[in-house]
Amino acid sequence: MKFARIVICCSLLSSPALVCAQSAASNDSAEMIRALLARVEQLEKRVAELEGRPLSALAPAAPPEPVAAPVLPPAAPEVATVPVAAEPQLHSGHMGMPLGMPATHLAGFGDFNFAATDQPGTKIGFDEGQFVLHFNSALSSKVSFFGELSLTARRDAGIGSPAPPGFNVEVERSIIRFEQNDYFKVSFGRYHTPINYWNMTFHHGQWLQTTASRPEMVQFGGSFLPIHFVGALVEGAIPAGGLNLNYNFGVGNGRSSVISRSGDWGDVNNNRAWLATVFTRPDHPYGLQVGASVYRDLITPIDALPVREWIQSAHIVWTKENPEIIAEFSNVAHQQVSTGLQSNSQAWYVQTAYRLPWFEKLWKPYYRFEYIHIPGSDQLFRLVPSLAGSTVGVRYDISSFAALKLEYRNLRRPGEPRINGAFAQTSFTF
Amino acid sequence: MRRVIVRLGCRAVVLLALSFVLLRPLAASPQTDDVVVVANPSVPVNDLSFTELRRIFLGERQFWSSNLRISLLLSAPAARDREVLLKTVYDMSEAQLRQHWIGKVFRAEVASAPQMFYSDEEILQAVAAVPGSIAAVNAARIPRGIKVLRIDGRVPGEPGYRLR
Repeated sequence: MKFARIVICCSLLSSPALVCAQSAASNDSAEMIRALLARVEQLEKRVAELEGRPLSALAPAAPPEPVAAPVLPPAAPEVATVPVAAEPQLHSGHMGMPLGMPATHLAGFGDFNFAATDQPGTKIGFDEGQFVLHFNSALSSKVSFFGELSLTARRDAGIGSPAPPGFNVEVERSIIRFEQNDYFKVSFGRYHTPINYWNMTFHHGQWLQTTASRPEMVQFGGSFLPIHFVGALVEGAIPAGGLNLNYNFGVGNGRSSVISRSGDWGDVNNNRAWLATVFTRPDHPYGLQVGASVYRDLITPIDALPVREWIQSAHIVWTKENPEIIAEFSNVAHQQVSTGLQSNSQAWYVQTAYRLPWFEKLWKPYYRFEYIHIPGSDQLFRLVPSLAGSTVGVRYDISSFAALKLEYRNLRRPGEPRINGAFAQTSFTF
Repeated sequence: MRRVIVRLGCRAVVLLALSFVLLRPLAASPQTDDVVVVANPSVPVNDLSFTELRRIFLGERQFWSSNLRISLLLSAPAARDREVLLKTVYDMSEAQLRQHWIGKVFRAEVASAPQMFYSDEEILQAVAAVPGSIAAVNAARIPRGIKVLRIDGRVPGEPGYRLR
């Protein structure tokens, strides 16, 4: 209080006008001092009144300093299913949690597609893409939950007995995470396997990715890389100055007997897979990300001999948009347990895009080249085709949360004619 | 009478000196349009490097310490301080910033995007109330109970200050 009084006195008396007045005439000065003292007293009362009140009561009494009413940012189009707390001081560092229950944020992604290709057996037409829902909830300042559900239209809907429904529902991710600090975060659940940049960064967020299609090495339902991972993950930052190193280390069930699936219901061979990833986002140059990963598993496929799998992958990404560059490489080594026969399969892609400076920066042309090589000796990947392909297209941002993409693809698989296709996609987040 | 004038003059000088010392940490820089980085007094730092500031505003650094999480508060689009942040700290457009935070939430790296406010007064109220909070404001005067952080050792108005 004394400090407040001093501050008020000082602020008033430090006014140059007041100093001038004081030097003008002593009578005026004395009178002015009396007036000022009265003013100071008045202000002190006001300060005492304000300091005596809780912050939540401040707004109605003090129009110039309204209560901070935290609101959800329209920038991130999330819907608070529970009203945001009006008393942020009650939840330090964890705003948005009303007393008694956690606040759950709901968000989602969706896309609709049109495809026309000359691939034998395919039809020209529209498809619904995926409808993806995200549930995000901070359970405390250090514990959070993230869930992701996808609904995908089924080709066999209504066929057979019992007739399958029109959409397939899948729990894509379900993660509960405890964060001790920036250096140590531990979580359990079902993840996008963090050994591939695209898989981690975009996966079901079609709107987030520049292109309409994904690289074949991380295709939905693909087998080249384990797309999902069920287990535990430790992650965080590594103190390394301006390098900004980060790590992930995980232990989980690995691939299931059907190798495109993760071991959701358990470990099929009682042998845990593990992975380790290190990546850097250096301070300089700002926008660069470089990372490398290893993944180890024992696979017991349903229709082949058990193999040991050893994956090495790396990525380099320039995350700016002028230009945007993503390059990834993965080598998947398989060694048959019984014979020791080893094979190495490789996949890589390079994608570049550039946001045009004209037309309100809404247009972004892009190009991607990708390549997959599967040797004949790799029995586990005998159904995964080698390919070389180019994708060229343009993205137009209809709004801040919706995009239209037009794309042309040309793929070549060994022993097969080239496949050409034209695609259109509208993708959005909500 | 002369003694009264001299005494008043001395008092004014002392008070002027006092006011300079006392008001300096409270008023960031009345004569500058620089954007001021403010924080709750619980924040255990007084000085941030520009790259640390960038990591905080990108959501890559989320803790001040194990017991204190960073609460990032942002102004609404079109606010001047947000424009300055976009230009200097984020080096992004408004659309890119939105996509950045949607992506962070999508990757489960953060539980939610930063809280957004529609006036400096609202932000300052929240910064004063929420431990660990940090924000950038365009206010010429920062009220008591809020800490002004130096960036690369510089305060707003100094040559070389980058948030302008």
